[in-house]
Amino acid sequence: MSANVDVARSRVSSDAGDTEASPDTKIHFRVCRFIIETGVKLGMRSVPMATACSLYHKFFQSANLQVYEPYLVAMSCIYLAGKVEEQHLRTRDIINVCHRYFHPGSDPLELDGQFWELRDSVVQCELLILRQLNFQVSFEHPHKYLLHYLLSVRSLLNRHAWSRTPIAETAWALLKDSYHGAVCVRHPPQHLAVSTLYLAMHSYGVQIPKGEMEWWQVLCEDITKADIETIISELLQLYDMEAKCT
Amino acid sequence: MDRDLLKQSLSFHGQSLFSLLNCEQSENPDFKAVATDLFKAAHQRRERENDSPVVEQFIARKADILFAPSWKFCAPSDDDHQETREPYAIMPPLEQFMEVPFEERRDLFYRDVERGDMVIGRINSIRDFGFFVTIICTAGGLKRDIEDLELTALCPIRDVPSTGHHDDPLSYYQIGDLIRAGVKDIDRYHEKLTISLYSSSLAANLSKFKLGVISKEDLPLHYIRAERVSSDRSLTYEKLLESSLGFSNPSNVDVLLEKLGVSDTQSASLMRGLQSKHFMEEDFATAIRKKQSASWALKCVKAGVDHFKSGRHVEAMNEYNKALEIDTNNVEALVARGALYATKGSLVKAIGDFELALEGCPSHRNAKKYLCQTLVERGQQLEEEEKLVTAEGLYRKAIALDSSFQEAEDALQKLQLHIQKSLKLKEEAAKEQEKAKTVETSAEKLRKILKEEKRMKKKRKRSSSSSSTSSSSSSSSRGSYSSGRKKSKKRKRKRKRSSHSYKKRHRRISSRDEKSTEEEVEWYPAPADTSASFINQTQAMAKLLEDKSESGDRRLSQSREGARSHSFGSTSGVETMEEKRGRFEDDPFDRSPRGKERVQHSKQSTGSKHRSSSKVNGRERESHRKSEEGHSGGGSRPECSGISSKSRRYSSSSAGSEYSRKSGHSVDPPSRDSNYRGSEGRQCDLTYRTDRSDSKDSRRTGVNYGRSSCDVSQDNKTMVEGGQRKELPSNLLDIFSQIAQFEKEKRQKK
Repeated sequence: MSANVDVARSRVSSDAGDTEASPDTKIHFRVCRFIIETGVKLGMRSVPMATACSLYHKFFQSANLQVYEPYLVAMSCIYLAGKVEEQHLRTRDIINVCHRYFHPGSDPLELDGQFWELRDSVVQCELLILRQLNFQVSFEHPHKYLLHYLLSVRSLLNRHAWSRTPIAETAWALLKDSYHGAVCVRHPPQHLAVSTLYLAMHSYGVQIPKGEMEWWQVLCEDITKADIETIISELLQLYDMEAKCT
Repeated sequence: MDRDLLKQSLSFHGQSLFSLLNCEQSENPDFKAVATDLFKAAHQRRERENDSPVVEQFIARKADILFAPSWKFCAPSDDDHQETREPYAIMPPLEQFMEVPFEERRDLFYRDVERGDMVIGRINSIRDFGFFVTIICTAGGLKRDIEDLELTALCPIRDVPSTGHHDDPLSYYQIGDLIRAGVKDIDRYHEKLTISLYSSSLAANLSKFKLGVISKEDLPLHYIRAERVSSDRSLTYEKLLESSLGFSNPSNVDVLLEKLGVSDTQSASLMRGLQSKHFMEEDFATAIRKKQSASWALKCVKAGVDHFKSGRHVEAMNEYNKALEIDTNNVEALVARGALYATKGSLVKAIGDFELALEGCPSHRNAKKYLCQTLVERGQQLEEEEKLVTAEGLYRKAIALDSSFQEAEDALQKLQLHIQKSLKLKEEAAKEQEKAKTVETSAEKLRKILKEEKRMKKKRKRSSSSSSTSSSSSSSSRGSYSSGRKKSKKRKRKRKRSSHSYKKRHRRISSRDEKSTEEEVEWYPAPADTSASFINQTQAMAKLLEDKSESGDRRLSQSREGARSHSFGSTSGVETMEEKRGRFEDDPFDRSPRGKERVQHSKQSTGSKHRSSSKVNGRERESHRKSEEGHSGGGSRPECSGISSKSRRYSSSSAGSEYSRKSGHSVDPPSRDSNYRGSEGRQCDLTYRTDRSDSKDSRRTGVNYGRSSCDVSQDNKTMVEGGQRKELPSNLLDIFSQIAQFEKEKRQKK
């Protein structure tokens, strides 16, 4: 019963998102893509990258997109995430990579006044983000949940079937991709982890022996099938969004 | 595309997915190749609830990524460390929470258990042919909830290692023992297991486990946790996960990613735009930084070259160094710096820079040219230093670098000629030498002896310089007296030394010398008035004593003068002084401040005019005498006094009076310094003297010298007497004269 309501609500909200908030969502998608691409080029690990995206989404939950330059906020989010997750990133690298993102094929910046101004603005924006988020900048990410779930599921499956099926890779990629949207700040980490695992297993048609309870019920008590489906549909929308945005 | 995977997915999703796939992947040649195969699989669909069409569409759209063989990128590292700490949360088997039915679990176990797996069980019966084990849990890779399945395995007797005795290996085991064993054989049809206690039965990644009887503590963590879960129904997976220590490990993500074989920094995404083929290598942070640093460094080099051209070499060097700091091994910066070094004359450094530059860029024309020129220049330098072979090597190197470099070739030819010449010369010289040798052997021998003696004399001269300075600066009688007194003291010390280990003492002194350099610094600015009053005091005391013994002293000191040389020759104190001197000479930087100190010092301690050193000596003498008086008066034991005087010298003694202690500290350094001064001052006149002395004379001193060692015992005797003489100052005169006579006799004997 409640599941149906949930599904209905999610449909409504997603529909509304498609029509109403479309321009904003598209911008956020592009900026998140920018964060992720930059993160890859900077050699960031998944968790700091997830933190950077979460910071960005959290920031624009309360801030207006018309007031703040999203790409500058994104750069500062990357910088701040590196600090929060203890993967030190140098501002010079961040600015270099971002500069090249906006001016593909251009020569690296000269280390002159303009560069230092850019650096100052990144650092200033970092302080702004901190204040806007009330200095609550550490998040619980679904990554470690997902990995533990994967391990539990693996031991339940036949080892050869497991080694043949790229469930772990797919689930991990799905989770990373989910940061293109605000899914990460809307749902609890456990739900996200279960949903990505569910989708990955369904993609390959992998079945787990059935017991009294479903495996996802065991992994996360308060999740319902509808929750999983909501998250999955939100996730899959992001892939559709990619086609629209690029 | 992985056909089996696609089949599996199709049989799960059915016909709808197949039509979607046909639609979405119509342009994919890979899919077309496998499509016909898949058609059948799509119809094998089992009856189950409908899946959402969104998921199927997603699968269809991303099928080229999802089912690409490269998507499964790396094999997991299934290295199960059995550590006490858990790097990630180790959870009980999932089926325990899911409550999978008994039968299914049993089937699953028999399906998945494999040879080489590790199981843990309890012995339930022992027979002649082996023992039966009820398996309670699995260990190692496979993790299943099997305790209630009542699985029984047989461990045959041939798989039980014998303990080395002749008795039955099974006698070692008892019913109820916990056994860790490897799965040796599985009969899946009859559901029978055979296990082995030989570790060769285990898979390679488990081989470090020991098989056999284990204790309860050795049970795997997932089993222990499973027991906790089965006893406490409220303990859910979630609660257990969040309460376990490994879950709060901040690096558990990295550990698990490695365990599962997922690469983290590699971009793995189902997004089309994030496929790794879209990432250019030159867009990555490290590449950009490198490029940026290089251009920045080049800018610095340009600035440096400008500085260099206008003659500001220091600024140019700073720029080059900055450039190299920004971008180590920047070729241009290295070449520029090398050129600067070369113009500044540091050819070796220049060569180093050029070589580094050529290492980074072997075709750099300027670097090559400069290196050749610098090598030749350095070679010429070496030639002047007569290091012909090294120079030749450098020329050869230059030619090897640039065979058309005429200058190097010319230099090399010249050098080779030179070498040949010098070789010839050497040969001739050797021949001549051989000739000369036969003639000049006797003369040479003589010269050698002379040289030896000169050396010895120098040594002695240095040692006796302290007393000789005093004698030279003050009235001769007093000076000689003081030296005599001093000598007796020194002898005393020497005797002590002979009773102690010689070397040990030597070492101690040298270590003290190091300390004393610090002490000296502290000591120099001593309050002027105290030292002055002190000098006065000592002066008075010295006079008192000297007046009494003056007449007797004259004779004595004269007779002693000769003996002095040998008695001093072998004291270790002298050696330390020499050592010190050696240090001064070795270290030119150390020398100059020392010299200053010395000068300053002599000024300070002397106060006025030439009597300074005599005063100093007097002071020292006084202090020594004082302490010795005190001791021999108290205990009348020379050894004791010797020890205490030593301790006074090397540390502040508690035995001596305050006065003597003070004097011991304050007087010592000046006396030593005056020694240096004396020895230095003496150096010239010593050489002068030795130059003058003919071979006969020096031989005589040599004999004297040789005799000195046998004099030691006699010296000791006199020293004892000396000790007594201090005790009775009134009788000094008599005693001194006695000694003098004794010594005269001794001399006559010899």
